[in-house]
Amino acid sequence: MRQARPYSGIFCGGVSARTGPHALPLARIKKIMKRSAGEAAAAADGGARMISGEAPVVFSKACELFIAELTRRAWAATLEGKRRTVHKEDVATAVHNTDLFDFLIDVVTADDAAAGDDVNDGDGLGPLE
Amino acid sequence: MDSSYLPAGGAANGGGAGNNGGPGSAAQQAAPIREQDRLMPIANVIRIMRRVLPPHAKISDDAKETIQECVSEYISFITGEANERCQREQRKTITAEDVLWAMSRLGFDDYVEPLSVYLHRYREFEGEARGVGLAPGATPRGGGGGGDHPHPMLKSRAPGSAAMLPHHHDMQMHHAAMYGGAVPPHHGFVMPHQAGQYLPYPYDPTTYAGEHAMAAYYGGGAPYAPGNGGGSGDGSGSSAAQGGSFEHQHPFAYK
Repeated sequence: MRQARPYSGIFCGGVSARTGPHALPLARIKKIMKRSAGEAAAAADGGARMISGEAPVVFSKACELFIAELTRRAWAATLEGKRRTVHKEDVATAVHNTDLFDFLIDVVTADDAAAGDDVNDGDGLGPLE
Repeated sequence: MDSSYLPAGGAANGGGAGNNGGPGSAAQQAAPIREQDRLMPIANVIRIMRRVLPPHAKISDDAKETIQECVSEYISFITGEANERCQREQRKTITAEDVLWAMSRLGFDDYVEPLSVYLHRYREFEGEARGVGLAPGATPRGGGGGGDHPHPMLKSRAPGSAAMLPHHHDMQMHHAAMYGGAVPPHHGFVMPHQAGQYLPYPYDPTTYAGEHAMAAYYGGGAPYAPGNGGGSGDGSGSSAAQGGSFEHQHPFAYK
């Protein structure tokens, strides 16, 4: 299986027209950064915060590492439940089991509340042999 | 579930804009945040997820959406910390170093080293791309294949980086080797910057950190000097040069 190497991302992410060699679009990252920094800056001193061009580059890779880690941990929860489909609650389990991901607890629990009661439907595939 | 999120987010933002009424940003914030501005593209997220999952694994839509949400939260979380640091130090611009510093502060220490390497590579690449653009005469394409790439970074750069540098000719060989498909010889390469050289404004042409890095690395033995016959000598030269750099591979970890 092809493993993404942490050091070689810039050259193995695949060059696409939209994102360049990065796995995630820099413009989008910058927008999200701007919103979070902009709100904080507005609250504190009213000044608008600027973002260096390299910061989203770092995030493009950081988010890859982050998604990979969260996914791996969610998959562990999926296997624990003898399933083969990763569900939202597996992600929630991963978040709850990892101190590093404490900041995501609201995200996964808010999601649960919003989605209501369809969390226990299983994946209909039967147990993983 | 996105629809259930949006009204809340929109309302919060509407309130914020009403309160500060700042010029420029108010109009932007008053508009409801579109999903395509708030989240990473789902296809990209799925691609990264699939890379770490075994082939028989499936991913439910709700899991995909949750991870998508988590990524945005992650960016905001880190940016918030980086932003506070900038505020404390009365700087207006959040730099890559601030982001890395925030990650090490918030427990993502493990990411710092690979990200530093990534950033370093990016700077090298950027230097090379610029070098090619500015000095077409000095383009030793040793490894071939490099010419096939349109240097997409050039398009995505801010115009301010034009000041950056025509000083990386000696990196050409090195990149030719990378593009040729060979594993870069100094693959454990880490950011060689000393903490003291760590610069808040990397685009300043007089203090661009990459320049210091180049000086430190290629000043002495110059294993990549133009005229050196290709990639074969690179391994020994770079591994020798590498020795000292490991001692400060986490320049942001302490501060």
